[in-house]
Amino acid sequence: MATLVLDNGAYTAKIGYSQEKVSVIPNCQFRSKTSRLKTFTANQLDEIKDPSGLFYILPFQKGYLVNWDVQRKVWDHLFGKEMFKVDFADTSIVITEPYFNFTSIQESMNEILFEEYQFQSVLRTNAGSLSAHHYFHTNPKELCCLVIDTGFSFTHIVPYCRSRKMKDGIRRINVGGKLLTNHLKEIISYRQLHVMDETHVINQVKEDVCYVSQQFYKDMEIAQQKGEENAVMRDYVLPDFSAIKKGFCKPREEMVFSGKYKTGEQILRLVNERFAVPEMLFHPSDIGIQEMGIPEAIVHSIQSMPEGKNTTSNISFRIADDSKCVIIPITYSWEGGKLLAQNPDYEEMVVTRDDFEENGHCVCEEKFDV
Amino acid sequence: MVLEKKGSARVEAGQRRVLDEATRQRRLTRQLEALEKDNFQDDPLSSLPPPGPTARLPAFSETEEPEKRRRKTRGDHFKQRFRKNFSALLEEENLSERAEPNYLSAVAPPSSLPPRPFCCVCGFPSHYTCTTCGGRYCCTKCLLTHRETRCLKWTL
Repeated sequence: MATLVLDNGAYTAKIGYSQEKVSVIPNCQFRSKTSRLKTFTANQLDEIKDPSGLFYILPFQKGYLVNWDVQRKVWDHLFGKEMFKVDFADTSIVITEPYFNFTSIQESMNEILFEEYQFQSVLRTNAGSLSAHHYFHTNPKELCCLVIDTGFSFTHIVPYCRSRKMKDGIRRINVGGKLLTNHLKEIISYRQLHVMDETHVINQVKEDVCYVSQQFYKDMEIAQQKGEENAVMRDYVLPDFSAIKKGFCKPREEMVFSGKYKTGEQILRLVNERFAVPEMLFHPSDIGIQEMGIPEAIVHSIQSMPEGKNTTSNISFRIADDSKCVIIPITYSWEGGKLLAQNPDYEEMVVTRDDFEENGHCVCEEKFDV
Repeated sequence: MVLEKKGSARVEAGQRRVLDEATRQRRLTRQLEALEKDNFQDDPLSSLPPPGPTARLPAFSETEEPEKRRRKTRGDHFKQRFRKNFSALLEEENLSERAEPNYLSAVAPPSSLPPRPFCCVCGFPSHYTCTTCGGRYCCTKCLLTHRETRCLKWTL
């Protein structure tokens, strides 16, 4: 029997069989200005020759799966002949869902996986739990870890203790990748060039040039320097989707610090945007979101734990210095799911189709720690 | 950082309209809502009828005896659920009466640190506040840009 691991994110699905490699695929549909009649699903994005003004149709809203029509189109495509050729009767699926997922969404998920696709068995879990499993598996001496999961829709801080999720300590910050991209789009459109329709392009700009500043106000000073002194400044060449397929940063030696470029490319000049945009994760109040940033929320989370009551806020300074921070790739959760599928106890963690048909939703509720 | 207030930019302030706190809050809410949008532009297909199954769905529920049919098959039951958006689902969960922790209780509370001021034009740390709308600015040049473009309107 095969096990398919699907980390079903609000923006990308991380999918693959537990014996094989992972693929990162857009978990959405697209429409383009050039072929208006066609709707492109998931990795059909690559077929769009001119993805300027790309229109997104997303199955998730605020991090929760609400648009099942779209989700099923994407799943049909992923499970189907073109991609993973799933033999449902002989396949188990590990699938992720957000923390505090709504009951009705969980029930829809059960019904669609068991009744429509007819998977042989299902394991529903949180992506963070798979990451924690991965971490405890590779670091067997560790007893606890704190997962900071920044996704497309929001950021969760979740303590895990002896592989158990500490539900009382979960904190959500409503800042994620979508908000960062939209904010970057907004400030670029105000300061230099109207790019409000170019979510796809600006998301790439964000991934290419943005970084988390280690010394925020120092970087602000550097960013205010003129000319070559300004080590933060980057000129980003926008794609035109004919000669330039993908945007890129001008190499430093080719940058023109005063005056205009003689080449005809369209250029964005990015200075404080590079680190002020990701800074919203650490200080959501910078744009008026009345929520704690990541460091403060970590302290809040730990203090809510029975063992963490007496810690003082000094801990916030120590986190950056002392704690072992592991920055993990986007596929880390998926790899955790792969390890879980190879676990000898895996069969006991899943709900089989027979089980579901006999006992319905309650057997899923009992078995899955979500 | 010391909040420094200079007279020059504020001389004419008395003659300008001042937005009240509620209006400022509404403007902020609108800005934050805009940051949640999936797309800024309209669907390229919006002028045409929606394709495939989505076009069939509404007609499906309007056909004979919708109530009876809904109970009969699970498929219909699904379709009712598929039509709900996030806020409808959230309401349906009735979380305020459920045991904590839950989706509502898990949100990070407001920061205990004061907000950091940044110029709404250039993004650098700012020392001054626009008397009209409460937006921040860092120098006269940015103040003028701010007044011309955004002060009493939201351009984007």
